[in-house]
Amino acid sequence: MTFLNPLLLIGALGLALPILAHLINRQQVQRTDWAAMQFLNRSIRVRSRQIRLRDLLLLLMRCLALLLLVIALARPATTGEGFAWLPGETRAGVVIAIDGSFSMQHRDGDASRFDRALELTRFIGERLQPGDLVSLVLLGGTHRVVLRNAAYDPARFAKAMEDLQPTPQVLDLESVPKHLAALVDEMDAIQKEVYLISDIQTRHWERTSVPLRESLVQLGHSAKVFLIPVSGSAENLAVTDLDFVSGFLRKDAVARYRATVNNFGESPASEVEIRCRVEGVQIDTKRIPMIAPGQSETVSLFVPFYNAGPKRISAEVTDASLAVDNVCRVVASVRERVSVLCFDGSGGDASRLIKAGLLARPTGAEDEGYSVRTVQWPAFPVGSLDAFDVIVLTDVPEITAEQAKKLLQFVRQGNSLVWFAGESVKAAAWNKLAEENSVPLLPAKLGQTVDTRDELGVGKPLAPTLPDHALTRPLASLPEDLLSETRFLRQIQVEPTDSSFPVLSLAGGGSPVLLEHSLGRGHVFLFTTSANNDWNNMALTPVFPMLMQQIVTHLTGREFEQPRFVGDALTLAYVDQPDANDAVFETPSEQTIAVPVRSHRNQYVALLERADEAGFYTAKVSVQAPGMPIAVNVDSKESDVSCLTATALSQVLQGTGIEVAANEVELDARINMVRTRRSSWRFFLVAALCLLIGESLLADRVLGRKTSPAKTASSSPTGEAT
Amino acid sequence: MSEHLNRVHYLKPEMLHQLDDLEMIAREVVEGLRVGSHRSPLRGFSTEFSHHRQYAPGDAIRDIDWRVYGRTSRYYTKLYEAETNYDCTILIDGSASMTYGSATVSKLEYAKYLAASLAYIVLKQRDSVGLSVFDSEVRAYLPPRSSMNLLVQLDRLLHEIKSEPRTTIAKQLHDIALMMKRRSVVVVISDFFADVNDIMSGLDHLRHDGHNVIVLHTLDPYELSFPFKGTWQFDGLEQEEPLTTQGERIREDYLRQFNRYREAFQTACGGSGIEYALVETSRPLDGVLSEFFHQREAMLSGSAIGGRT
Repeated sequence: MTFLNPLLLIGALGLALPILAHLINRQQVQRTDWAAMQFLNRSIRVRSRQIRLRDLLLLLMRCLALLLLVIALARPATTGEGFAWLPGETRAGVVIAIDGSFSMQHRDGDASRFDRALELTRFIGERLQPGDLVSLVLLGGTHRVVLRNAAYDPARFAKAMEDLQPTPQVLDLESVPKHLAALVDEMDAIQKEVYLISDIQTRHWERTSVPLRESLVQLGHSAKVFLIPVSGSAENLAVTDLDFVSGFLRKDAVARYRATVNNFGESPASEVEIRCRVEGVQIDTKRIPMIAPGQSETVSLFVPFYNAGPKRISAEVTDASLAVDNVCRVVASVRERVSVLCFDGSGGDASRLIKAGLLARPTGAEDEGYSVRTVQWPAFPVGSLDAFDVIVLTDVPEITAEQAKKLLQFVRQGNSLVWFAGESVKAAAWNKLAEENSVPLLPAKLGQTVDTRDELGVGKPLAPTLPDHALTRPLASLPEDLLSETRFLRQIQVEPTDSSFPVLSLAGGGSPVLLEHSLGRGHVFLFTTSANNDWNNMALTPVFPMLMQQIVTHLTGREFEQPRFVGDALTLAYVDQPDANDAVFETPSEQTIAVPVRSHRNQYVALLERADEAGFYTAKVSVQAPGMPIAVNVDSKESDVSCLTATALSQVLQGTGIEVAANEVELDARINMVRTRRSSWRFFLVAALCLLIGESLLADRVLGRKTSPAKTASSSPTGEAT
Repeated sequence: MSEHLNRVHYLKPEMLHQLDDLEMIAREVVEGLRVGSHRSPLRGFSTEFSHHRQYAPGDAIRDIDWRVYGRTSRYYTKLYEAETNYDCTILIDGSASMTYGSATVSKLEYAKYLAASLAYIVLKQRDSVGLSVFDSEVRAYLPPRSSMNLLVQLDRLLHEIKSEPRTTIAKQLHDIALMMKRRSVVVVISDFFADVNDIMSGLDHLRHDGHNVIVLHTLDPYELSFPFKGTWQFDGLEQEEPLTTQGERIREDYLRQFNRYREAFQTACGGSGIEYALVETSRPLDGVLSEFFHQREAMLSGSAIGGRT
């Protein structure tokens, strides 16, 4: 016999109370001399003995009733032949956990893995009795409890299952055991069972972490755990990436995107067609002759932009087995035109090189959508800078506080600033300006100009500090010798601010060459070297135009162009306080979610905590305002739908106490085998109540008849004998 | 009660004053030997003929004047009247059972007060008072005398009583009856916790000897109501086996047996021409005496009126 609430057995100590009361009562015998002993004759003496016996019987009945009550409250459970005589009922507390990650949508034929999971859930439900406790949870990145510790009702259970749909999320397996253990702990059941129905993806289960194994073992201590695999084939094609590679995100320009298609299956995929859509219109199609099993192929998709504004771009393949990861989405913020204003304090040499690098044309001719204007310092526009997207300051000695304030506002509104060092730069003046402003304009405090040449007088080459940064990614395609040709002879020493990070540095762990930090919705890049050839030969190599063009492309982008994953938070940031208190997010399924706007670090941010769908969300400052699309993709980590074999799964689960039920027959057998514990608390409770009633009746019969005359005597002044 | 008794403490002047008003012996007009202003309480036992009256049921058969019957064919009973100085003998039960008292005054103490008070009243009437104390045997016997000094002897004797258990009462009453030389009023103060037949055997002996017997059945209020609650051990005062029990549970049985005994005793006294009065020791002594004398006066008056008709 085991107990569901064994701590309550401490209540058995309460048995001491009636016994103690009895003993105290006996100890408190009062004595008196008595003359009329002839009237306390034999019959009364016999009666007194009977009373003592009845008292003892009543005491025994009270003690037994109390003991039975304590046992009932402790919820006893019995197993085995020894307790077969004890009336009881088989009661189960069942947690059914269905893997709701998007890999469960994979289908080999007509039915998906999720459909199969639902069938198994119904099968388990059919083996429950009305009144059994049941929890139904849909697992994913976050776990949704559909039924929580509810008394099993077939109709309610069926209704709850009707609403179950797989999610586009990735399964967070690490958190599953603890979540299930919490649900198990909530159950006040004698026989606790957990049924985990999952496709047992190889990537999740092949190499389980130590904490996961430990929590599985812990879960096994709390309940009997069954793992029910609903595996299928590994065949799946997915578009795992869609990246902007080159070109300009402006009107009448063409951008090149790179789509990556992965074949997660075990057989080669041939003639894979990738379609590129912009705003739902198919604009490019590519065909990959063959993708080997487990391999990926990339294709370039050329996207022309005919007008300005945010553009929804998607790359899509056709794969019937799992549709949710067939599409990868991205948003491009296409500008009407891109204007760069360059202030040059070096006398014109640097600005010329910068303009040449930005236009990347031998003639330096501009087109309508892209203008680069150079101005010799100290000329500075009196009016607004709104006409420009990027401002470049090269070798500018110093700026006034007013100019600094204007540039700060310019950046925070979502524009960008590129700063180059040079001979004319007065570091002290720039540093003083930074100290005067609460938010520094530049990402570093400036120091002395230093010589970076080695003993032989050769400058140090360049090395990307962040290889995955949008600026350094194109440099990776350059031949190594070409990159190493870029030599830096001098640079200005810097002390980076807390919010900045180096993008490029001198080779060999040298000091940073390019630093970046964010200001509001804009960015500031700081080169610790000059733009002209005085301090380096960068402008003479392909590195310089590539860097400059990437900088402008990167800086003229928007933060919401970066695609998010399902489960990520979506943000909408404002520089100025919006009129409406709530921002609006429209989901891909055209639902509207209002989100309050909160002030955060000198800007206003609306935060949607979770994106639950894959597709294009639209963020609006208000219901009527034009929306800004945000691409939300599924995490391609879940696209590897290959499942563990039964043998491998058994090895993985070895020592965890978790049993595998491969099909309904095995599941049925295990349920019958495990559900042998019977709950007898009702029997004990009824027995205790019967004893209490019997004791009350007996006490009433013994005491009531005898005490009634005493009540009449209670009016006597000698109510209490002394 | 106890406060009252302490205040009285034998023959306090306040109580004597109250008792002066009671007119205890207003029964028949028999003056005492010394004073002769009171009617003797021994009416019916005098040898001096007074007059006849027609027989009424209840009159003693031996008092029927058969010669008058022979002449008139009617029953007449002879009434005697004697101006006599009567004797009163007070018998006090000094057995161990009398030492019980639920409050500060035991039955024996109460009996002492009662006896002293009665003696004083009788002596004040210039009648004679005798005293006897008994338990398992007769412990003391003072023949009747009319001196107030007797009260001092009474007081000393009462103080000297050492309670002893007794099993019977008849033998002691028989012995006392043999000691008494003259018919008198015999007042027996006792709890009479003995077999009714045994008690009546002794009392009848006194009665048959021509004594006018008055029984003052002295009981503690707890013995009358048995108010015990909870677990009690009752230790018998007369060497009975102790009993431990719960008072409230046996109360009904106790009271049933006790009341049966009392009714039997009271009925037996009535049947033997013995006056019976219940004295509850919780009651004030003067109240008890006052009530007793009023009842007695009323009863005697009724008999006299009946006698004249």
